[in-house]
Amino acid sequence: MGVTCVCQVPVVEGKSVQQTVEMLHRKLEQLGAVKQGSFCVDCETYHAGAMGTTGQPTKFLYVMHNSEMPLSCFALFEGGPCLVADPNFDVLMIKLKGHFQNAKGNKVESRGTRFQYCDFLVKVGTITMGSSARGISVEVEYCPCGVPNDCWNLMKEFMQGFLGPHTPELPMVFTAKPDGIYSPSDCSDTMAQYLELFGKVRKQQVAIGSSMR
Amino acid sequence: MEAPPVTVMPVTGGTINMMEYLLQGSVLDHSLDSLLHRLRGLCDNMEPESFADHEMVYLLKGQQGNPFLLRARRSLDRPASPWHLRYLGQPEVGDKSRHALVRNCVDVAASQSLPDFLNEMGFRMDHEFVAKGHMFRKGALKVVVCKLFRMLVPGNTESIEALSLSYLVELSVLAPAGQDTVSEDMRSFAEQLKPLVHLEKIDPKRHM
Amino acid sequence: MADVMSVGVNLEAFSQAISAIQALRSSVTRVFDSLKDGMKNKETLEGREKVFITEFQDNLQSVNRDLNELERLSNLVGRPSESHPLHNSGLLSLDPVQDKTPLYSQLLQAYKWSNKLQYHAGLASSLLNQQSLKRSANQMGASAKRRPKVQPTTLVLPPQYVDDVISRIGRMFPDMTIELSRPNGTSAVLLVTLGKVLKAIVVMRSLFIDRTIVRAFNENVYSEDGKLDIWSKSNYQVFQKVTDHATTALLHYQLPQMPDVVVRSFMTWLRSYIKLFQTPCQRCGKFLQDGLPPTWRDFRTLEAFHDTCRQ
Repeated sequence: MGVTCVCQVPVVEGKSVQQTVEMLHRKLEQLGAVKQGSFCVDCETYHAGAMGTTGQPTKFLYVMHNSEMPLSCFALFEGGPCLVADPNFDVLMIKLKGHFQNAKGNKVESRGTRFQYCDFLVKVGTITMGSSARGISVEVEYCPCGVPNDCWNLMKEFMQGFLGPHTPELPMVFTAKPDGIYSPSDCSDTMAQYLELFGKVRKQQVAIGSSMR
Repeated sequence: MEAPPVTVMPVTGGTINMMEYLLQGSVLDHSLDSLLHRLRGLCDNMEPESFADHEMVYLLKGQQGNPFLLRARRSLDRPASPWHLRYLGQPEVGDKSRHALVRNCVDVAASQSLPDFLNEMGFRMDHEFVAKGHMFRKGALKVVVCKLFRMLVPGNTESIEALSLSYLVELSVLAPAGQDTVSEDMRSFAEQLKPLVHLEKIDPKRHM
Repeated sequence: MADVMSVGVNLEAFSQAISAIQALRSSVTRVFDSLKDGMKNKETLEGREKVFITEFQDNLQSVNRDLNELERLSNLVGRPSESHPLHNSGLLSLDPVQDKTPLYSQLLQAYKWSNKLQYHAGLASSLLNQQSLKRSANQMGASAKRRPKVQPTTLVLPPQYVDDVISRIGRMFPDMTIELSRPNGTSAVLLVTLGKVLKAIVVMRSLFIDRTIVRAFNENVYSEDGKLDIWSKSNYQVFQKVTDHATTALLHYQLPQMPDVVVRSFMTWLRSYIKLFQTPCQRCGKFLQDGLPPTWRDFRTLEAFHDTCRQ
């Protein structure tokens, strides 16, 4: 897979999440992008609650899934190692429930439409937590290239075409490894970016209001 | 780009509640060849797969009694293949009607970052060993004949020393819970190996 | 009969010569006959020997006589006219049955054609030579010294020579790795990996590049059976475009006498894709046009252009 950039697009003032998403869809279609099904990225939070006696801060373990890689399961620590496993990892987490509790209310997911434009894949999703819409995620992937530094300017130019002033900077995950080949088969860098985004969304107040639903 | 559109939603859950049925035994080194010969005749028509694996056993100690145990295994022959993470539940040996040891089992294929990740989860390595041997199949039955090696230097799979002068023989089947007929198949298969090796259901707790 | 005689005195000499040959053969046969029969039964031993020797001498003398006669006649016969442009096949014109087998006229026509063809081919070759010299004048200067070394028949080069040329090119470009394999017979197939940008499969025939296909660095170049997949195109539009341009480059870099220079020029051109995703178009200054980066590279300056910006 190629180089991926995940970012958040703020909701246009005076519009709902749904309306902002539709505006993005229109812009992409004007550009020539074609709708290609839907996508979903979800994230469950587990905390190592049972061992919190020693006074250490509680550690969070995140287990994520991505419809682009339907037979994989991603387990991450914030800023820590990422494990790519098969779906049986979910079963293992049930076995581990004595040590890691699932914080059911903290489940975040982003669902939306997948667009294709030439060699770009664009996924515009609505981020929901519990039952409330919390924001909009945009994922852009440039598939033919594997080195983030090589194609970043090109991707930026593309994103400026429909995100305008909300075009993001080079994601943090890439600045750590300037020249390395970007994980060719798994998508742990993509998942790390979603995790970061979901973390931001989780902390922010339900400011946009629950009027969208 | 001509990738097919993805409409599949993520599969969560995996295969729930798989059981491992297990019989164990051992042979001395000098009778290994005759056992392999016998297995070659009994099992599916294929060349026995030989393997060399490095297994690390991790423990997660919580407040309540038993520590949580996970086994991480990697192939030494094929370093590019994924790691194998295995959870094994408490064995159910008491039931006399069953001819094999039965225990809950979760197999996970995982990426190379597994040891780092387990450490981050709080697991600590308890012990490690190297297993070298051969694997046979007959339908769903799996027969593993392997020798276990102790590692002289932690983490170094080069300097190893055999644990004993014999080979471990394991006959196992993975099946969903409640399919006890497989233990019948296992028993009849074990009968056919009888003079060479006696496969029995062994309670690991008795030897601890 | 009369017109046969009119062809010349030669013919009479011919028939005499033929009978002389017949005479010679029969006299030689007699020699061996008498040798084979051996001595005839006579009263005394001396008598037998005497008769045998005289008979043998007589026979040899007649052989000698016949041979001399043949030699004399052969001088009269003279040589067949060598001035004829078609050499011996010119004698076909003597065939009296012209109408049934018009071999001679056909032969003449074919001869004229092949003459013309040779002439035109010569002209074309000299013209083509001038053209290619002009086009790649910069490379000519560098390789002028090596020119006499080039074999005339470039289609059949020893594999060792091809290997040498390829490995020399591989050493020239550190960011380019070239793997050479020969999956079918002597023709080489190159797998060129350029940085972390692309992989190109180049199919060679001797030192001529037959076909090339370019794929992304992270795409599969091997088919399921583990062989190099030289047919299926890249999944990505950008590399389909680069493949098209590379095929154009194959047609552009042509220099039949110096195929190694062609391969080197092609590789130099291909190497300019190392910054495929990093270079904006030299004309419009943008990275993307219709979702594609600048895929065209100028054959001389190697500058990057969008396909539509290059004119």
